[in-house]
Amino acid sequence: MRKPRPFSEKAFKIGIPRSFFYYIYPGLWETFFREIGIEPVVSRPSSRKTLELAAFITEAEHCLPNKLFDGHLAEIVDKVDMVFVPRLLSSLKGHISCPKLSTLPDAALAEVARERDVLCVDINENVRPLSKTLLELGRKLSIGKRTVRSAIENAMRAMKDREAELDQRNKAKTKGKRFLIVGHPYTMHDAFFSESILRKLESLNVNIELMSFANNDVPESFIRWCTSNKMYHKLTTISKGEYAGVIQISSFNCGCDSMMIEIFRNILKEKSIPYMVIILDEHTAQAGTDTRLEAFVDSLEWQDDSSSVS
Amino acid sequence: MTHLVFPNLGNYTIALASDLSCLGLEAWVSTATSPEAMKLGIEAAPESACLPFKAHLGLFIEAANAGVEYALMVNSIGACRLRYYRYLLEKILKDLGLKIHLFSLGYDGVKPPFIRYFDPDLLPFVKSTVLAFRKIKVIDIIELKTWRTRPLEISPGNTSRVMYECLHELNVSKTSKETMALSRAIPARFSAIPVDKGRNPLKIGLIGEVSVLRDKFLNHNVENILGSLGVEVRNFFLLGAEIRNIFHIELGNKNTRKYLAKLARPYLKYGGGGHALESVAHTIRCAHEGYDGMVHLCPAGCMPEISVRPILRRVSLDMDIPVLQCSFDEHTSSGGVTTRLEAFVDVLLERRKKKSGSEKVQKEA
Repeated sequence: MRKPRPFSEKAFKIGIPRSFFYYIYPGLWETFFREIGIEPVVSRPSSRKTLELAAFITEAEHCLPNKLFDGHLAEIVDKVDMVFVPRLLSSLKGHISCPKLSTLPDAALAEVARERDVLCVDINENVRPLSKTLLELGRKLSIGKRTVRSAIENAMRAMKDREAELDQRNKAKTKGKRFLIVGHPYTMHDAFFSESILRKLESLNVNIELMSFANNDVPESFIRWCTSNKMYHKLTTISKGEYAGVIQISSFNCGCDSMMIEIFRNILKEKSIPYMVIILDEHTAQAGTDTRLEAFVDSLEWQDDSSSVS
Repeated sequence: MTHLVFPNLGNYTIALASDLSCLGLEAWVSTATSPEAMKLGIEAAPESACLPFKAHLGLFIEAANAGVEYALMVNSIGACRLRYYRYLLEKILKDLGLKIHLFSLGYDGVKPPFIRYFDPDLLPFVKSTVLAFRKIKVIDIIELKTWRTRPLEISPGNTSRVMYECLHELNVSKTSKETMALSRAIPARFSAIPVDKGRNPLKIGLIGEVSVLRDKFLNHNVENILGSLGVEVRNFFLLGAEIRNIFHIELGNKNTRKYLAKLARPYLKYGGGGHALESVAHTIRCAHEGYDGMVHLCPAGCMPEISVRPILRRVSLDMDIPVLQCSFDEHTSSGGVTTRLEAFVDVLLERRKKKSGSEKVQKEA
């Protein structure tokens, strides 16, 4: 990989694809780059246009988030001096990321970001904490250590603030029984995936709560994938009294979910908590998803009615 | 006699099966998943599980229905879904009410639970393991001869017949002595097949995911199809090298992980789990060695292999070696696979003609 040219006096722009690592570390990257004096350019929020752009260039059997990543990358790659694509090997100590995340920069350099400057750093919480990774990132850009340290402090704070903001926004609006929405952060927090599902549920007067990913103090289990284990931990600790049901937002060809769905189904069956999975791909029609959500919510109401009658 | 089933690894199943006698077990295996087993696996498995999972499950259900008591599969510490196979297989088999005890082997200490359970005596165990390794070597010899001879044979089917005869004899040989005697006899058997030495077969490397590379049912017998199209293939999943890499043995291993990682580094810094790194490294190596093309085989949705597809395309362009990318699932038809391979071979033959044509022009100029 070519060594990136050092940051110069002129306004240097760095492109950040709004995908994967952007959602796993919310608020971190834009703040860090801005603090060290590089203008971050985050790609536009995912939309049909992103998908259309991706359709020409992406791998047909990728999961939808990976296709969108290619679309985001293609959108910004010619508008900036350099694109940022880290190699995400682990975002949670003791765990490993989905293998696709570890090949992102190499795949990007092979096709979409061919012959462009790609800034890459290995994020591996098993080997070094995030702060050290950011130090390395600053070193690669030849930024002074003092500037980098201050930028790290501000960026970590910004990330904590953003996570708290997300948790506040995503928690249930009212007390009492609610539905839990789970999914990887890069599907669940990407409005392109989740917006229509959440709006539909709200229109059905369902009290929803999106699962939080802020807590890294998660006990290790036999599940080694970072985000999957956080979901597993959440589902093993909830009870029927708190949650009327669990809805998982997933993507077609998500390898992690294909195995995890069965495991989650088993856990929730034992707790008698109704569970539904919505699998999205680029062909998913709104009407189909709406129908399934209506049916799920209705069936739970009938269950409640019949149990209260008897 | 107590039976044990383990997932088939193509012809290598023969070698692995012989290692069970010291444990008091007889192998209930085959060298290819059966269509019935596949059907059972597809019915019982989660819809989006990968193809090898469905094949494993189908095989275990078929075995359990036939009264087999024990099943064995590998442990994995990698990033792909293989790690969760055992958990899910056990759960599904239990839900179906099947009484088959599933063991897994690998990365679990010097005396793994599986070995401890059957507690073999040391000497027979060592002898059995040595025999298994010898058989792996003989399988490699048989396969290499098959790959070289099949594109040159005059009567189609002769090579396959000799191959199956040799494999059958290997299967029934019970001692190292018999195995070595067979190994010495193999070259003569293949030399006896009438061939046309004037042909200049294309050379294609097969790379990708383990199960699909080796299981002739899952890959619709790719090696045979290519061989009968006049192609000399090389299958780059070699069990000997694989086992050596797991145990970090570099002696006698041309394809160490270190070497392959070094080869692939300009294009792929870290292996993405599974055999993604090997796929890239072997493509680069084959380009250097003058192969005409590569065929990349993987199950549909296979996380590591799909994620390196863009990288393989880049290697293909940079090093001028065509790479055909095939993915397999339960709906893949043999006709479709054959058509794609035929088209690919045609393209490679055209390229060769063009290249030699342009060389001739250059020479004359």
